Amino acid sequence: MKNIIELLKRHFVFVLFLFLFIFSLVVLFSSNRYQKTAFINQSNDWVGQLYDWRDQLQRYLRLREINDQLALENARLRAQMSENVFTIDTTVFSENDTLHLQRFSYRTAKIINATVNRESNYLTIDRGSIGGIHNNMGVIANGAVVGVVSSVSDHFAVVLPILNPKFQESVKMKGSGDFGLIAWPPGSDPAYADVKDIPKHVQVNIGDTVLTTGYGSHFPSDLFIGFVSELNDRPEETFHRIKIQLATDFRKLSHVQVVSDILKQQQDSLLNQQQIRDDANHLP
Amino acid sequence: MTLTIFHNFIRITFLILLQALIVSRMQVLDGFILPWIYIFGILMIPFETPKWAVLLIAFATGYIMDLFSGPMGMHMTACVVLGWLQPFVQKLLSPREGYDIVQRPTIQKMGLQWYLTYAGLLTFIHHFVLFFAETLRLTPFFYHIGHILFSSIATLLLMTIGQYLIFAQKGNE
Repeated sequence: MKNIIELLKRHFVFVLFLFLFIFSLVVLFSSNRYQKTAFINQSNDWVGQLYDWRDQLQRYLRLREINDQLALENARLRAQMSENVFTIDTTVFSENDTLHLQRFSYRTAKIINATVNRESNYLTIDRGSIGGIHNNMGVIANGAVVGVVSSVSDHFAVVLPILNPKFQESVKMKGSGDFGLIAWPPGSDPAYADVKDIPKHVQVNIGDTVLTTGYGSHFPSDLFIGFVSELNDRPEETFHRIKIQLATDFRKLSHVQVVSDILKQQQDSLLNQQQIRDDANHLP
Repeated sequence: MTLTIFHNFIRITFLILLQALIVSRMQVLDGFILPWIYIFGILMIPFETPKWAVLLIAFATGYIMDLFSGPMGMHMTACVVLGWLQPFVQKLLSPREGYDIVQRPTIQKMGLQWYLTYAGLLTFIHHFVLFFAETLRLTPFFYHIGHILFSSIATLLLMTIGQYLIFAQKGNE
């Protein structure tokens, strides 16, 4: 016993090093699982506050560009207003809108920190649980997909964007409706992503539009994701290799909308019940 | 003594903020060159500091840096390796008469050539571990080695300029 203590004393620094090193590696390899632990959480309020201050300064310097963006969006929305459209009236009875239950609601937020050229990128927004943001809410900008909320503190939230290998969402081709999965190769160009699992018999052309399916309940269906820019098919494979150009320009992103699905709980609990029932039936 | 600890504490805090708020935002060649200058605070810890203290300071620095960027654990891992190796590299490069007269590994005290060897070696090791912790792969090899090498050079360059700015007036301290 005495010898062991003596040995530990002599190699104290090395033991300390090993301990800290292994601790760091454990945190590194399980950063997802420990995200909820307060002391290793990236959506830390202090860090968020600092980024917020810096962002206020930068936002001021970028006012002109943001103004231009907003003006463009205004013009686009104005073009969609009813007085600009010649409507063919086909309704016979007017309907009371109790038939159309609102499903998705939107909250606006500002991006206060973002990376685009790392292996796995994150965005920080200036709205947290007090502002009604929860984990797994979808995030969009200008009608195109940005990412999904991955961790939340009182006033800030961290978003997992498409530019992160952990981002998973099913997508579909406009027109044919065949669906696949979107994936971003770690560290690649932030303007592009890959679409996988679309079988070869589906006709895909360069320029085709890729939309959300709405299955994951992060996003409404038919949101714009991007369009096909390259096809790198290989004869020995049964699926297409599709490269798409993303609709969102992550380098210039400043304002986003967070989507919350009001009926998510209903949908999930129904699926849960079904699974429980299935499990019960399979019992011997 | 207390003053030295205070100086070092302020320096490390300042460097972390500088890194997180300004330097990490610089997009040189689309992120191909990404300097991590905050390690300057760890490199400048005085010679006579006990090894365990260097290790703990490096760990804390890495932890705070992790809060500011990317997946947790990257900077912690790299900084722990840096904090452990720092005393060894100092010993490896020690002049014949030892370090007891001078207190801090600065250019003014140790000379430019010594400083560049010391900081260059540790910076490259830190960047290598950091990058490896981030990606866990080295293909395409030349692109990644280039990224590590040029980022290290950028860090070294910024740190050397910073040396002249910070320690210029109080060279006799």
